[in-house]
Amino acid sequence: METLRFSWIIAGALFVMALALRFYKINHPDQVVFDEVHFGKFAAYYILREYYFDVHPPFAKLLFGLVGWFVGFDGKFDFANIGDSYSIHQVPFVGMRAFPAFLGSATVPIVFWIMKESGYPTAIAAFSAALVLFDNAHVAQTRLILLDAALVFFMALSLLAYIKFRKLRYHEFSPAWWGWLFATGTFLACTLGCKMVGLFTFLTVGIAVLVDLWQLLDVRKGLSIEQFYRHFAARALGLIVWPAIVYLSFFWAHFKVLKFSGTGDSFMSPAFQETLAGNELLLNSQEIRYYDTITLKHKDTKVFLHSHEELYPLRYEDGRISSQGQQVTGYPHNDTNNFWQIIPTKALPATGRGRIVRHKDTIQLLHAKTQSYLLTHDVASPLMPTNQEFTTWYPDEENSRYADTLFTVDVLEANEGDPWKSKSGHFRLVHVPTKVCLWTHAKALPDWAYKQQEINGNKNPAERTATWFVEDIIGDETGEDLRGRTVKVEEKKVKSRNFFKKFWELQSLMLAHNAGLTASHPYATGPINWPFLISGISFWTENDKKQQVYFIGNVASWWACSLSLAVILGVMTTDAIARRRAINPIPDDIRNRLLNNAGFFVIAWACHYFPFFLMSRQLFIHHYLPAHIASALVAGSVMNFIVTEAIDFPVSHASATAPARRYPRTHTDIGSKAIAFLLGYAGLLFGLFLYIAPLTYGTPGLEGHAVNRRRLLNTWTLHFQAKEHESIVAEDAHVSDLRPLAILT
Amino acid sequence: MSSHLSGELYEEYSELIPPLIYTILSCYTRFYHIGKANSVVWDEAHFGKFGSYYLKRSFYFDVHPPLGKILVGLAGWLSGYDGNYDFPSGSAYPPEVPYIPMRVMLAMFGAAMVPLAWFTSVELHLSKKACHLVTLMTLCDLAWICISRFILLDSMLLFFTFTTVFCMTKWNNQQWRPFSFDWWLWLGMTGWSIGCVVSVKWVGFFVTALVGAYTIEDLWEKFGDLKMPIRVYIKHWIARGLCLIVLPAIVYMASFKAHFMILNHSGSGDSQMSSLFQANLVGNDFATNPLEIAIGSKVTFKNVGYGGGLLHSHVQTYPVGSLQQQVTCYHYKDDNNNFNLVRPWGHPEYNPNEDLEFLKDGSVIRFQHASTMRNLHAHMVAAPVTKENWEISGYGNATTGDHNDLWQLEVVDDIILGNKKNLKDRIRSLTTRIRFRHLTMGCYMRAANAVLPPWGFKQVEVSCDKENNPKDQHTWWNVESHWNDRLPSGNQKLYKSPFLSDFWHLNVAMMTSNNALVPDPDKEDILASTPSEWPWLHTGLRMCGWGDDQIKFYLLGHPLIWWGGTLSLILSLFILAVYMLRMQRHYVDWKAGEWDHFLYVGKVAFFGWFFHYVPFLIMGRVTYLHHYLPTLYFAVIMLGHFFDHFVFSARRLSENVKTGVFIFTYAVIVGVWWWFKDIAIVSAFLNLFGTRRNSASGLPVQLIRIKIHESSIGYH
Repeated sequence: METLRFSWIIAGALFVMALALRFYKINHPDQVVFDEVHFGKFAAYYILREYYFDVHPPFAKLLFGLVGWFVGFDGKFDFANIGDSYSIHQVPFVGMRAFPAFLGSATVPIVFWIMKESGYPTAIAAFSAALVLFDNAHVAQTRLILLDAALVFFMALSLLAYIKFRKLRYHEFSPAWWGWLFATGTFLACTLGCKMVGLFTFLTVGIAVLVDLWQLLDVRKGLSIEQFYRHFAARALGLIVWPAIVYLSFFWAHFKVLKFSGTGDSFMSPAFQETLAGNELLLNSQEIRYYDTITLKHKDTKVFLHSHEELYPLRYEDGRISSQGQQVTGYPHNDTNNFWQIIPTKALPATGRGRIVRHKDTIQLLHAKTQSYLLTHDVASPLMPTNQEFTTWYPDEENSRYADTLFTVDVLEANEGDPWKSKSGHFRLVHVPTKVCLWTHAKALPDWAYKQQEINGNKNPAERTATWFVEDIIGDETGEDLRGRTVKVEEKKVKSRNFFKKFWELQSLMLAHNAGLTASHPYATGPINWPFLISGISFWTENDKKQQVYFIGNVASWWACSLSLAVILGVMTTDAIARRRAINPIPDDIRNRLLNNAGFFVIAWACHYFPFFLMSRQLFIHHYLPAHIASALVAGSVMNFIVTEAIDFPVSHASATAPARRYPRTHTDIGSKAIAFLLGYAGLLFGLFLYIAPLTYGTPGLEGHAVNRRRLLNTWTLHFQAKEHESIVAEDAHVSDLRPLAILT
Repeated sequence: MSSHLSGELYEEYSELIPPLIYTILSCYTRFYHIGKANSVVWDEAHFGKFGSYYLKRSFYFDVHPPLGKILVGLAGWLSGYDGNYDFPSGSAYPPEVPYIPMRVMLAMFGAAMVPLAWFTSVELHLSKKACHLVTLMTLCDLAWICISRFILLDSMLLFFTFTTVFCMTKWNNQQWRPFSFDWWLWLGMTGWSIGCVVSVKWVGFFVTALVGAYTIEDLWEKFGDLKMPIRVYIKHWIARGLCLIVLPAIVYMASFKAHFMILNHSGSGDSQMSSLFQANLVGNDFATNPLEIAIGSKVTFKNVGYGGGLLHSHVQTYPVGSLQQQVTCYHYKDDNNNFNLVRPWGHPEYNPNEDLEFLKDGSVIRFQHASTMRNLHAHMVAAPVTKENWEISGYGNATTGDHNDLWQLEVVDDIILGNKKNLKDRIRSLTTRIRFRHLTMGCYMRAANAVLPPWGFKQVEVSCDKENNPKDQHTWWNVESHWNDRLPSGNQKLYKSPFLSDFWHLNVAMMTSNNALVPDPDKEDILASTPSEWPWLHTGLRMCGWGDDQIKFYLLGHPLIWWGGTLSLILSLFILAVYMLRMQRHYVDWKAGEWDHFLYVGKVAFFGWFFHYVPFLIMGRVTYLHHYLPTLYFAVIMLGHFFDHFVFSARRLSENVKTGVFIFTYAVIVGVWWWFKDIAIVSAFLNLFGTRRNSASGLPVQLIRIKIHESSIGYH
């Protein structure tokens, strides 16, 4: 029974069954479902090679692009809304869905193999695999164009590779040892390349490695400190350096493929944008010269720097007093009051490039309409006592305020002598005497300033939101349009930029936007609900046939997994308490297996679950899928612990250098009763799976009462439910609450 | 012989000389020119006022437990203050308010921190030099000095935090002879101290967590001691349960009991409490309301759920949904809370001469809003905030309306009589709890903690809940005020409010209000700061107005103490790792017992800091710099522990080096304190940012990147 050949047969059978369940009616629905809106679109962008921005790393999306290209998708479908038809637009969506379905199917035999490699009997390993095989959540998620199938696949592979590596501990530095070490690193990088959740897989393996190293460090192991350093260095190389290289290579491919301007341009810095062919900044960015008349726009709130003849009121509502100078405000629309002329503070050559304004130049800004100079001084701004007021100064006034009208152009990420450019030259305008920078915030002034936006001086010279750019050059010093200058400018080449700079910029933006995904979503749930399957997500509905795809797990699978976690934590706690009183309820060899192997699975579960509690972004039950895999492994271990008193020993590959075994070689035989029970449970899993299947596959459509019967928990929010309470006479008109996640734009 | 004796006496008392000197210095720094700033500074506006309420005995509501404020009231009483000043922020104290004695009395708590720090260091078995440093740092920290000099709760919070740590270390040193008198004494003192610190501010729970963690570890150790009889072990548990849980709970509840006993007059905080509680306050007329309600009564309804308000309606309409008149829950007394109880449509109108029709369980009635005559109405329009519920609005008038205006009364129970059967088909005001079921839709009127947007004046939303949850107290209501000329007035004796339920109710209300203190994203609060700014002293706190001719205080730590403390905490983890790695390689660095003691002091300091800091990172409420002040104590202990471990107790260093380091550190701490002292102690330097502006914005201020300059602009 326990031969390798038999294991392969079982693995093959599991794989075939998984394929069958995941490919069944994969062409239904032939419409955009849930987040296919995003990930289908991203695949299209790779095919069109247009730059886009997303919070997830590119690996899985690159694979989708590749698959899409392979099955002949031309990228000319925009996946705009849930429910858009694929058939009408002739999108080869079956081929694209086949890819995650295949990965999702392969995850099942991998789970089986993890258990086999950990030394569990075939029946126990098959039980763990069945928890995933017959799980509606995994099936629903992996047969759509979504990233999670790849994420879960590589996460499971990482665990398998690390266990293979660990089993070779008595063959250190052998080729196989190195091979599995680097395989672990590679799969970890792939996991991280799919979603940032891969960091949790890194954490899992990292904890295991630290425990391992800590034991190696013990003098009683007999390793010299040099040998220990070698162990340390090998793991650092295989599990940090190498994954970093692999991870970076995904971004390298990402940048290579996406070479045209696209929807993601505006997220990036000007320097980045200029590396994209056809980018607006690249085409229209101009060097600015002295005496040019320009408009200045605030990057975040998109208002122009504006001034008009009205003065600040003498006294504000809160009793503070102003300078009564001319108002300077932020105004969102085009207006001649937005025009400012750049006045030099140094002698200029008559012609030539000496007349270009450069980074760190000190300038004055002359308001074109009123011929007064922009000024700020040590007077509190109208709305913020902590910030300085901006106003203008008429040179014909008696007291000279010349010094207060001087500003330095501080172009971001520029070097000494770089020219200041329109559009692309993001800059801060820093006041020379007081060092405040020109700043504005989305707050309107009272009626006396026509509810325009407040402009003031921010005392933080490195304020990130004090970024401005020159929107347009209105005219040169003769006041003429400078089309002439524009036309003469030759065709510009795409600039290149250091890969690491590009990577770093994109990576930080991804993290920032990821944390910023806090908008509410009707199906967002807190992590505490997930292990108990409190509620799912509505992916797709079809009103005429009453069909729906509702993402929800198999109750028999998820609850068994959660129950096993409770059992193992209970067993470990009880054991710890008993041992404190010098009672050893569990034999040492079985206890070791529980701690080292099941313990590893528990850590994997905890690492893939608890960090979500700390996140403030919106969360969904499908974030639990990797943790569910880990808990299925725990369930197998617990089942083994319950049905048998023995384990397979040894599991690690023996070698001549290995220390003498502490325990005799043992084998488990879980017995026919246990096998019958496991088969029975698999039957239950399959039965429940079939019962929920109409919600998973979106077909067949269900009538109201059939929907009600499948609402196993009253917290599930299914569509097309029949009314149960006569008293509520309202026709609960079907309102669509389908929404994709992560809307960035 | 006698010289020998006096030598012994000297030995005994000489140990008391340093703490005595430090105490004198501490009094000097805390009391010096304490009344110079003769205006209401910072939160004196709150805590001075709360103290006054105790003297006036009028009931108020606040998010903090009462002990600290009772002590403020006591200080006022001892100073001869009559309680008739309401402490408007920033204004000058009138001559009849004895603010100086009040400040002095409260500053005594702050002054006592210094000797406590000394004795705690001694109990932690730090070397003499380290004891001196820890005490000096407690003496010289500017933030601790500054916060202790006003009518605030923080000096008491700090004092009881210090006593808790002190008692715990004292008790730890008695562990070798369990159940001895001293052991019981210090265990009991720890419990008493926990009770006090928690009764001043809930921040006290953090030091409680430290004691709890220490106790659990200790019990776990003893659990592994197989020689200890199980009986003795159980005794250990019981002793700790009694002294560390029961005793603090009694102290905490006693402070509330005193609170309720002193504040027996109706006041500003009435509406936070249950109707029954209010009925017992002097100056409240609920108890004399008619007892049983009938058709024709005019009533107000109070929501029974925690923090529940009064059912309210006003002429403003919903800007969303039905656009009809708003119905809300409101926490203050107002004529717009009054509703007439009238018969449903189609029944004879109420006639003052007819027989009285008392209401009972199952009666169907209409609620007519007394001032606008609109009917309380619910319909199939989603509620404005809680979208899954139906909206409740005011609709129609005395003659127009429809079947959606009808509500059925479902009696839940009666607080005094218990089961509703005992009511004999009547409904009593104040004590009977009722639910209102909408007759046509079957939903229940509910007011939870959903707050309406500004168009609803941020009052609480009232909606109709489709789910029938009979246990949901937010769907329970009771009649509060009741007017009906034809009924006899009630009897005060019927109403007794049980202490435990008032206690619980008030605590839940405090918790709810505390959680509601969230930062308003639309308002920039220049006084607030985030926890990440504290350990490195990125920010200070402006404690008063910033006028040119005003005495100013700036709450700012002693930079060396704050930085040094934070640095030592970070290093502690690093050092721990190094020592553990060395142990794994079997290096022998320690003599017997040394490692355990090193760990013990380190754990008290590290976990004390950790428990006082991390919760602030997680909690959503707005945080201020002074929240870090109890936390700082543990950073100071860690810093002292570090000096002790690496310098004063190091075997490799000579006595001269140790003395040199000691003198240098001592001098630098005192020097920096001298440079900054004007921020906290006003003394003769009246105009800190006027006459001394240049020096104050000089190098050290630049160095620590405080925002004095930023704050000082503004008003010109």
